[in-house]
Amino acid sequence: MDLAKLRQDAAALLADGRAGLVIGFRERAGACVPAFVTDADQADALVYDDTCIANLAAYLRKPEIRQRRPVALVARPHVMRSLILLKAEHQLQGDDVLVLAVGDDTYHGVLTLAEAERLLNETYADLATDAQVLAEIERLEQMSPEERARFWSEQFAKCTRCYACRAACPMCYCERCIVEKNVPQWISTAAAGHGNYAWNVIRAFHLAGRCIECGACEAACPQGIPLMLLNALLAREARDQFDARPGYDAEAEPVVGSWNKDDDEGFIR
Amino acid sequence: MTQTSTKPDAATGADAAAQPWSPRIVAFVCNWCTYAGADLAGTSRLQYAPNVRIIKLPCTGRIDPLFILKAFEQGADAVLVSGCHPGDCHYTAGNYHARRRWGLFRRLMEFTGIDAKRLFFSWVSAAEGQKFADLINAVTDEVRQAGPFDPTNPARKRPWT
Amino acid sequence: MKILDASKLSDLADTLAGAGYRVVVPVQDGDRVRYAEWSPGATIRTDAFPVNSAKDFLFPRSEVIDRYQLDGDDFTPLEVRPPAPRTVLLAVRPCDAASLAMLDTIFNWDYEDDLYNARRAATTVVPLVCTRADAQCFCTSVGGAPDSSAGADALLHPADGGSRLILEPLTDKGKALVEAAGGALADGKAAPDAPADVPARFDPDKVRAWLADNFEADLWDLLSYACLGCGACAYACPTCHCFDMQDEATRTESVRLRNWDSCGFALFTKHAGGHNPRPDQAARWRNRVMHKFSYIPERFDLVGCTGCGRCARLCPAGMAMLEACTRIEEEARKAPAHES
Repeated sequence: MDLAKLRQDAAALLADGRAGLVIGFRERAGACVPAFVTDADQADALVYDDTCIANLAAYLRKPEIRQRRPVALVARPHVMRSLILLKAEHQLQGDDVLVLAVGDDTYHGVLTLAEAERLLNETYADLATDAQVLAEIERLEQMSPEERARFWSEQFAKCTRCYACRAACPMCYCERCIVEKNVPQWISTAAAGHGNYAWNVIRAFHLAGRCIECGACEAACPQGIPLMLLNALLAREARDQFDARPGYDAEAEPVVGSWNKDDDEGFIR
Repeated sequence: MTQTSTKPDAATGADAAAQPWSPRIVAFVCNWCTYAGADLAGTSRLQYAPNVRIIKLPCTGRIDPLFILKAFEQGADAVLVSGCHPGDCHYTAGNYHARRRWGLFRRLMEFTGIDAKRLFFSWVSAAEGQKFADLINAVTDEVRQAGPFDPTNPARKRPWT
Repeated sequence: MKILDASKLSDLADTLAGAGYRVVVPVQDGDRVRYAEWSPGATIRTDAFPVNSAKDFLFPRSEVIDRYQLDGDDFTPLEVRPPAPRTVLLAVRPCDAASLAMLDTIFNWDYEDDLYNARRAATTVVPLVCTRADAQCFCTSVGGAPDSSAGADALLHPADGGSRLILEPLTDKGKALVEAAGGALADGKAAPDAPADVPARFDPDKVRAWLADNFEADLWDLLSYACLGCGACAYACPTCHCFDMQDEATRTESVRLRNWDSCGFALFTKHAGGHNPRPDQAARWRNRVMHKFSYIPERFDLVGCTGCGRCARLCPAGMAMLEACTRIEEEARKAPAHES
């Protein structure tokens, strides 16, 4: 990948004022962490590799970041999908964001959102669910409901309710999350038992048909809860049942929130 | 339609702790079709199992998955969601929206360990008093077969310690 | 000198469990290492940093602190007495043991917290001296050390090139533990290994001095851009102790819960009327730094951070206390604080 070109582009965007902020990645003690570049001469700190999993689109909900629009983001294809989906959900205007597009060992240059959408559909139209995640979903589906309940019981028991999963997700942009509403209180606040079950299930469900499977939530979870199993299951169902392809069409209606007369109702008596 | 005593939810309390287990089913129904269907079953003096507690909402489109979670959390053995047939929604499309939501949510429930045998969906119109009575009997029988909802299921609230 | 084979740490855990201790040790759990109650068959991992801190066992993430029974208009308070089992925190990090001094102070400052104190009194702390540190370790910058005995009732020293462990009792609780360990320990000699080399990275006094003059500094914006506002750092932190009270009730019972809370959450300071005195993440992250390096030192003459580096290891956004403090010290060098 042409890192030098990426740095050069980032510097140019800042130098000529096309971007007020470049968000990318830098290296710190052997790990890749988000970088916030405001001056052209800092652009050389930018790096990119496969370990840069954080979905930088999540930063676009922060008011202090939005103040610096247009913002340029280093974005792999999944992150580009997040941006397209944010636009489809009216969270972004087309000119709020520029994309420093990276993917498959290639640097694609600086793209507008519309250009990123075209690139996605031309080059990255078939981003598949991680094979390991799919295999694990299938393994769980072979289990009895009791075994699955036990599996999730153990997983959710780890949850401390730090909400790192929510924070890391660009699609979790609600100003007040359902889990923080207490009149009425739908989800128990205790970081245990039924509260943890309800939180993790509802978090996943609120992303049904919206998750683009970037993996940022699972990577963010300090406790190692396999959140992508839930997300990928719903992504698969949304795809199989409703042909959902979130993040490929900035004009698309939300999957849950629209309907089709011919939707499956074999399960309804 | 005015005899409130025939409403199915008058059956609450049928299984006090001392009595042998009997299915406890929570039904979330829409105001315009299924609730009216239940009312018709009542005014028609149709007999059906007293195991269902009906919660009436304006529309199936108003039924948040959190309601279903809450019912299981608080001790339901099964949940039934029922509304207007496609095309009959009082609000034009609430049931279409709900259908899509359930199509996904029921998969998530199954995947996280709530047996699909405990989640029921149906369309019952205001004219289908008999269908409502038959449905409740069938659902009750099936839940009886499935047995009580496992108190150690992660969805279930356990006593505070 | 009481010694044991390093590979026999699980035997020691077994013996102590047999003697009636709840034994908390770092164990492998999926792809993470965490402090958890010992159960036979678990794999003890002293070579990786646990994702949780020792505070979990003294100040749990959620606990019921009050309970009521409701029957119509009748309202009956029920007694709440959470268990405070005899516990040993075995082979915990010295920075976790050191955090207890801070928690002891906080939970007994203006109010004596019976729940914490009961568990604390029943707890024996046995840290394991660190012979290795990583890039996020900075205990020596905040008054700690890889072989610190702060907060310890006994100390485990790796010895003979990591093949043995020396157990050195320091307090009566520590001596009682050695006694309970019985045959799991042998009398013998071993040469303690050198503790890890953890270079001091900044001076907390200089950080504190800069903080005193720079509440409104532009640097806060820069330092907090990356923060996404979750609670991962606070919940992993051995000294963070903020909690929220929640009442949860049904028609027949009500409980009052004490749950961990974090100043990183926007909701932490949001008023009912909608005003938020800490309106952005810069204000929230500033509070986190201020609390640990200014308010706590001012009030208790302690540094509110033990330099464990967990927050940086676990932060999904790459925030790091060490980096913030070194950056602040750099800034302080550029513009020295006013002498007053």
